[in-house]
Amino acid sequence: MPDAIERYEALRTTADAEYAAWRNPLRPRIDVAIDQSSISNGALKTRAALERVAAERNAAVDFGRVHGYGMQWVHPSVQVTFPDGATVLYGPVREADAAAIVDEATGRWGAAATLRLGTITGKREGVPSIRQHPFFALEPERRLLRNLGLTDPESLNHYLARDGYRASARIFGRHVSEEVVRNTLNDAGLTGRGGANFPAGTKWGFLFGAPGEEHYLVCNADEGDPGAWVNRVVMEGDPHLLLEGMLIGAYGTKSKAGFIYLRDEYPLAIARMEAAIRDAEAAGILGDDIFGTGMPFHLRVIRGAGAYVCGDETGLLASISDERGMPRVKPPFPAARGALNKPSNVNNVETFANVPLIAAHGSEWYREMGTKAQSGTKIFSFSGDIVRTGFMEVPFGASLAKILEACGGIEGGRALHAIQPGGPLGSLVPASALPKLTLEPASFTPYDAMLGGGGIVFASDRNSVLVLAEMFAQFVEEESCGRCTTCHGGNQRKTEIIRRVMDGNGRRDDEPNLMMIDRTIQFSNCAHGQLSPKSMRNVLQHFHAEYEAAMRGEDATLSLKGATRFRVAQPRDARVEEAVAICPVGAFHGSPGARSIDEAECIHCQACTDVAPGAVVREAKPAAPRMVPIG
Amino acid sequence: MPLETEARAQIRALVAEFRPEHGDLLAAMHSVQHHLGYLSSEAMEVIAEQLGLFPAEVYGAASFYEEFRFTPPAQTNIRWCSGPACRLKNGGGIRDAILATLGLHDIPGDTEDGRAGVILGQCNGACELAPMVWLEQPSTHRIEFVGNLNAARAVRMARALRDGATIEASIEETKRA
Repeated sequence: MPDAIERYEALRTTADAEYAAWRNPLRPRIDVAIDQSSISNGALKTRAALERVAAERNAAVDFGRVHGYGMQWVHPSVQVTFPDGATVLYGPVREADAAAIVDEATGRWGAAATLRLGTITGKREGVPSIRQHPFFALEPERRLLRNLGLTDPESLNHYLARDGYRASARIFGRHVSEEVVRNTLNDAGLTGRGGANFPAGTKWGFLFGAPGEEHYLVCNADEGDPGAWVNRVVMEGDPHLLLEGMLIGAYGTKSKAGFIYLRDEYPLAIARMEAAIRDAEAAGILGDDIFGTGMPFHLRVIRGAGAYVCGDETGLLASISDERGMPRVKPPFPAARGALNKPSNVNNVETFANVPLIAAHGSEWYREMGTKAQSGTKIFSFSGDIVRTGFMEVPFGASLAKILEACGGIEGGRALHAIQPGGPLGSLVPASALPKLTLEPASFTPYDAMLGGGGIVFASDRNSVLVLAEMFAQFVEEESCGRCTTCHGGNQRKTEIIRRVMDGNGRRDDEPNLMMIDRTIQFSNCAHGQLSPKSMRNVLQHFHAEYEAAMRGEDATLSLKGATRFRVAQPRDARVEEAVAICPVGAFHGSPGARSIDEAECIHCQACTDVAPGAVVREAKPAAPRMVPIG
Repeated sequence: MPLETEARAQIRALVAEFRPEHGDLLAAMHSVQHHLGYLSSEAMEVIAEQLGLFPAEVYGAASFYEEFRFTPPAQTNIRWCSGPACRLKNGGGIRDAILATLGLHDIPGDTEDGRAGVILGQCNGACELAPMVWLEQPSTHRIEFVGNLNAARAVRMARALRDGATIEASIEETKRA
């Protein structure tokens, strides 16, 4: 029987040749970044335009595909790789820019000079390395994202040629014991990246020791936190990295089969993961006979259907097992009863993605990055009222203030108001905390906050923090599975109260009631219920003055219904008639030149101020006459 | 045994590859909804037979998820993004404006003539386009992304859809100043 490593080297021969030809192509190649963000920004239209121009001119150029590099605010982006191996990144490249890109790629250097962002690799005169872009100031080195821009994410051979699957071949060749695999993860300090932070090697040990032959290894790819797209980047950008992590996991847990539970909101990730599984099976890396060792591992993608609470591991396992995706009481823990009632282990996408890196480079290498308490790097996605929306991979412990700088600061010259990490079960942290915050879980603890899965939203002073609190209150209410009355009933009450306060009808006993609901919901069974009151609690802890002002019907941000009204400020301005025409509820009354808005009919949608800013204004409501106690 | 109608045979073919106790329920429901637009009572009966479940178990699971629907979909759905980046940029106002334009009160909802519907969207991480919606045509599986909206653009888009305009024409409406 040939050794697993020999099998691997045989795969490498073809892969290396193919990759070398891709890196140093005979003629220039234009790679359009294709990922969920790029597609949303029109990348498919850009690609069609580039292909059309190239065909019309019979240009000596080829086409390929990459994943976006992280700078989503300049999507759609395009890379050109020249025969000498230099790769230049451009963006945003719209259909109208197609000719310039084709020209620049085919010899008219300078045609697309204004679209250049930097070189991904190699040198071009006058073009800085993309690594010098301020957005990447806090990325000392890419580990999890090391293949982005340098491979076609849909190519197994590219992943192989970048040394992918070498570590798993060594492991499956039994050059490393299961215990050593798990201990190496623990030595590295790898903990669950979904937010729970449990040591991965220890968790694998539970399943390894579980009775029976049928063990299921499960990947939680139900990345449901709005504002977080860390797992999406791994699955769309380097799908084999996740597969390899699961393959090593199969070895470390004695699993012969596994599932990737993937949210339906990520159709491209589903397609790429399913294709990667097929390719790996065809190459003998997955399937019945991994690297010729006779060991099997079969993987399937399970498409979710829009249920946030399936991100809880027992909810996820129920969902895989043909049931309602309701979290249940533990024990039994998944290692005793999981998918299809068999012993199982659930890890997050990014947890698995770290495994091949640790297996290849060792735990000491891994610990070079991060802090003592939290080693390694992590992918974060940044969004909200910032100039540069995108994702980056930073060592744990990076300064959040510097991150905000890298993101170009708050847009429109406004001030930072709140930081929102960890999604709907996460937190609302005040701007004043920014100088003290670093990207590691412990840094958020003093604010009764949690870092979570990697999504961070920066909110400016354009909105009251209650806007986000209401959004999350509604979210956790709608996504409650309904098992615990504390959670589904408590969150309904909480949403009603927050809305009442926002509408200017707050009552004195609302705050004590919110606190009582908070204490009660914490007795729910799963993390969804337990953590659901956090964001509102944070409002009362960190934004109390703002809450009090809303109770008085005041709101400095002019974003709350109860504290603001819309008024025609310039009745003779011609745009007022546009505002009248756009109003979806017909709240304007009177004749042209003398229009007024009926406050009772107005739904505060802002369509009027969109078309006639200045002529129609949103302003603070005049203070209501105060009730003076008699006597 | 219920009568084997043509519709039933079609559903049976869509779920023929799925097996009991194999984690196939979600895939079976996706398959039916993808091809037929929604899960009819008949479809849930067939799925239950195929997977060795009771129809109530299939309905119980289906109704748990936001994606599955039990009535035919509208011609065009506006999937409204409920994420935080969108919300910070008046996503709430855009939702209310769209609902008011279509004469609806809540999400999900369809106009009476079935031309347009509004369904809940979850953040998929294209937040540089916030605030955004997706326009979806269930019959063709076509999806268009409409970003950098504001309430006024959303009203024009929703009015166009309401009045029977194509997806292209409706998106054009959002590009006017």
